[in-house]
Amino acid sequence: MAVAATPAPARRLPPWAQAVLGQALALGLALALAALVGGVIIGLYHESPLAVYATIWRFSTERPSDIGRVLENATPLIYSALAVAVAFKAGMFNIGVEGQYLVGMVTAAATAVTFDSLPAPVLLPLVVLAAMAGSMIWAAIPAVLKVKTGAHEVVTTIMLNGVAISLLAWAILHPLRTSDTGLVDLRTDVFPEAAMFPTIAHTFGLEKQLPDSVYLTWLFPLALLACVLVWFLLFRSRLGYEVRAVGSSAGSAQAGGISIGATQIKIFLISGALAGFVGLNQLLGDKGFLGSNYEAGLGFAGITVAFLGRNHPAGIAVAAVLIGMLKRGQDALALETSIPIEILIILQGVLILSVVVAYEIVNRRIARRRQQEVRAEETALEGGG
Amino acid sequence: MPLLDLGAALALCFKYSTIIFLAGLGGLFCERSGIVNIGLEGLMVIGTVMAAWGAIEFGPVEGLLIGLLAGMVFSLVHAVATVTFRVDHIVSGVVINVVALGLARFLSQFFFGAATQSDSGIPDLPKLDIPLLSSLPWGLGRAFENMSPVVLLAFALVWPAIWVLKRTRFGLRLRSAGENPEATRTLGVRVAPLRYAGVMISGALAGLAGGFLSIEVNQLYHEGQTQGLGFIALAALILGNWRPIPLMIGALVFGFAQAIPLRLDDFFLWSWLPEQFIRMIPYVVTIVAIAGFVGKVQPPAAAGRAYEGAGGT
Amino acid sequence: MDERAEDDHGEAGRSGAPFVVLSGITKRFPGVVANDDVNLTLAEGEVHALIGENGAGKSTLMRVLYGLYPPDGGQISVRGQDVRIHSPRDAIALGIGMVHQHFVLVDRFTVTENIILGAEGGPLLDMEAAHAKVAELATRFGFGVRPSALVEELSVGEEQRVEILKALYRGVDLLILDEPTAVLTPQETDELFSNLRTLREAGKTIVFISHKLDEVLEIADRITVLRRGKVVGEATPSTTSKEKLAEMMVGRPVLFQLEKPDVQLGESVLRLEGLWAAPALRGVDLDVRSGEILGIAGVEGNGQLELAEAVVGLRPAVQGRITLDGADVTAWSVDRRRDAGLAFVPADRHGQGLVLTMSLWENSILGRQDDPGFSRFGLLLIRKIKELAAKLIRLFDVRARSLSAPAASLSGGNQQKLILARELESDPRLLVAAQPTRGLDVGSIEFVWSQLLEQKSEGRAILLLSAELDEIYALSDRILTIYEGRITGEYSPDASPEQLGLGMTGDQRQEEAS
Repeated sequence: MAVAATPAPARRLPPWAQAVLGQALALGLALALAALVGGVIIGLYHESPLAVYATIWRFSTERPSDIGRVLENATPLIYSALAVAVAFKAGMFNIGVEGQYLVGMVTAAATAVTFDSLPAPVLLPLVVLAAMAGSMIWAAIPAVLKVKTGAHEVVTTIMLNGVAISLLAWAILHPLRTSDTGLVDLRTDVFPEAAMFPTIAHTFGLEKQLPDSVYLTWLFPLALLACVLVWFLLFRSRLGYEVRAVGSSAGSAQAGGISIGATQIKIFLISGALAGFVGLNQLLGDKGFLGSNYEAGLGFAGITVAFLGRNHPAGIAVAAVLIGMLKRGQDALALETSIPIEILIILQGVLILSVVVAYEIVNRRIARRRQQEVRAEETALEGGG
Repeated sequence: MPLLDLGAALALCFKYSTIIFLAGLGGLFCERSGIVNIGLEGLMVIGTVMAAWGAIEFGPVEGLLIGLLAGMVFSLVHAVATVTFRVDHIVSGVVINVVALGLARFLSQFFFGAATQSDSGIPDLPKLDIPLLSSLPWGLGRAFENMSPVVLLAFALVWPAIWVLKRTRFGLRLRSAGENPEATRTLGVRVAPLRYAGVMISGALAGLAGGFLSIEVNQLYHEGQTQGLGFIALAALILGNWRPIPLMIGALVFGFAQAIPLRLDDFFLWSWLPEQFIRMIPYVVTIVAIAGFVGKVQPPAAAGRAYEGAGGT
Repeated sequence: MDERAEDDHGEAGRSGAPFVVLSGITKRFPGVVANDDVNLTLAEGEVHALIGENGAGKSTLMRVLYGLYPPDGGQISVRGQDVRIHSPRDAIALGIGMVHQHFVLVDRFTVTENIILGAEGGPLLDMEAAHAKVAELATRFGFGVRPSALVEELSVGEEQRVEILKALYRGVDLLILDEPTAVLTPQETDELFSNLRTLREAGKTIVFISHKLDEVLEIADRITVLRRGKVVGEATPSTTSKEKLAEMMVGRPVLFQLEKPDVQLGESVLRLEGLWAAPALRGVDLDVRSGEILGIAGVEGNGQLELAEAVVGLRPAVQGRITLDGADVTAWSVDRRRDAGLAFVPADRHGQGLVLTMSLWENSILGRQDDPGFSRFGLLLIRKIKELAAKLIRLFDVRARSLSAPAASLSGGNQQKLILARELESDPRLLVAAQPTRGLDVGSIEFVWSQLLEQKSEGRAILLLSAELDEIYALSDRILTIYEGRITGEYSPDASPEQLGLGMTGDQRQEEAS
């Protein structure tokens, strides 16, 4: 016989378990590598890595308000990462979440300030819808351009990010400018209370544990709900099926009658809608107005979280909390050590890179093993006929 | 001097075009070898901060060289990720940009004591007035006064670049790695070293572009000074169909678009627009250019797959 | 084929001297032994054919010789000296060159640039000298090729000549050709053979890997047969026959012909009128009736891909009309055509048939995910889909570990069976089958053929596009030949391969049977 014995297929994990195990392994390796690199840098500052990591951990978990802050940080990251992941499943890169949420904040602010006499149950959903509408429009532009002209969405979305920054600057300076004269900051009017998102603390009477400085609103549980909904969308809905087919093998999808362009536009719009939520926590939970001191960079942070979470809703939730902890860690570092907080940003970069590389390696090994099995099968077929 | 504004705009245009062209030329070598590089922006950022430090510490020429080297070293991350580990090119490029921002902050804090900018007044190279052209009438001569030698150097690079691509063994092999890596391999030529070279050239030139920006143009380092020029370089590269001379023309066009909000904001065509909208002009120009021309361009065959859409997981 | 001029078979080694000797070569891949203790002697000035089925180990053996794979056992000697070949560079240095089945040429380079890549002779290129040398080589061996032409402008036959010139430019004495005639018309094959004879006269050794027995009998001086990694026989054309070779290749007498059911033909299901599609389809008229298999015979690259895609809706028709069951579907989307009863078994399983990263059950409804039976209110009805998948796998004997295994984990034959099962399950009126058995093992080929014949007796119309004449003969009720985007002739299955060959090269036009 020319066929070598193949290992008995009996004791094998089902494919999905293999995949999860592989990804967990990759994440673990990446975390270990990042911790190692971080440890080296911390050592250079003559501090103990273990002590520093412990401090970061403490600052995130010691008191309820710490946990609250971590979850507050995680909230916009979840929405942002979901937006990136959803587009990525279709093979597209939405680097424009950054600009999309800015535009969403502008439309949300405009709505809050214009319809200020409406009661909360009407105004709040209206403001949220306005945010979604604004960011969806901003996402529609690169999507349509890509489908109609082939313009690569990486370049167009980044350009639109730049346009959005100027748009927001103009909006708070001209049409939405506060009527409060003599104010130094540039901002809109303060929103009516009816437009603000209720905080978890307020709803459950936990003001003592979660003081006013912790802006943990219902947007967080809503974000978790969004994770579930996105999972359903991707793996249990027809659109999700078509999206994954297009993202994985556009030719086969097309031969099956799926319209690539329509699918890409639909998913990019959904991505844009998710992006609209990214700015809501700071707008409707924290500040209550749109000013020139808005928090930027949440779009790129979302990309980090999406890659760390392997573009899967469950992974994203976990990764967002992790990055939320790192952000809290900035306060820890600033208050208790002499280490510059930029270290954490570098660590995040090392983390993504190692995750991505580790994942490739794990993936490659699974694929190679599968190839062997296929080849063994084919030879067996030829022999047995 | 009716055209003085135009002259001033052109002068600024040449500066921006130099940055775009240098980064774009680096990107050209990288992509022609088969590696898509959207991390030009991040490489440029590293160039800005390292070159600024180098200029303060040693002098402008050393600063530029340090910026170039720093870009080249940093680009190794992209090279290892994409060539050796075969990570998706776009993903790796995004990582480069994100890490660069953090690294730049860290370095800035370390070198200058402030996370987001250095002191102003970094020593720069002596400036030249181009003979003949700087005496053009009506204020146009202004465009050719006080020019940094790096601008001339950059545009002069077009010819050696073309020569290397078409008339050297390295250029032939580099291009074949980008068009058909399998053909290259079966002839016994190793593809990986060629691609490493392509990526490192892009790192070097993007780093040099960054150095030019912080040393020659702004005379300081500050966060965000690259303003997306790395992505505009990418656009110029696409528009230029990955060829040196069309790239140069694209760089000039985009460089001019950059100069408009700063020197030509009261030009009648758009003076009625609010200031913030004039600032949008360069971005809109880029989008229109890409959307209008993309159908007719031909990326290097092996790298082109990334442009037609990634295969997501 | 018997009418061709008697080939003056060279004596086994004009100079008599063995040039390259492979002794006891063994090569293993995970799970399979591709070459098992193979001995092969190649002499100077001969054409040596290496034949066997897919997976027999012929390509692997030559790749070991060419340095692409390291052998796990055995020895190679060149001109009496034991050598170690670690890479193609080493092989070329020893005078061994290889032309692969799928050409590896850089389309955007010129012929000369392609030839000198890797052998530039220095850090600076001297294109004039290179052009001259290429031109001289071409003339010496009778290859008509322009050194400054761009490869993307060349015909397939010309591209092959460029590949051969690549080897000759490097001064090889032994040339390995892997399935060289797979992409050639009969006329181009003749030209190739004449070139090979010239090379043989000049003392070169040619190794000719093929599974086409007629050609092998025509051109080879000696023949070695491989089966499942081992040498099972040697022969010369004068001492063997096609049947004996086939039997050695497969190990049992091969079923060349299946019973074609006698079916009453019905109405026209598919009609094409003046169909043009970019870039290579130039005005095609044809008609397929229910219960009929219409075979389109032609060498790949003559418009078959465009034809199939245009009928399916993946490629727009620049001109002309497509009618399906009487309805004008020319402007219809793929989805709409599928709803109207069109099914498609593509040539490219991976690029147009399956989504490899998705599971088997997900792939089993590709194209029908919007049917009310499989999704409601936008959500997938997973249980129903898995039921269908299980049924398909059972009926078509698709060997898979589980429904959730990714499609990539199936062998080629099983993948094709899945696609076929899926497409037939939708109860189509018209099945477009493009190269349906390419790359499949014998067992799968027989299965697919019998399935297609069975569909015929159920009244379906089948448009079959294939480059394998065996397949065309076995399945078709009528045969059309296609060349350069046009239908060049219509034949019955009784027509001889020569007649088909003429049609496939456009040399003869017949009036279409009305």
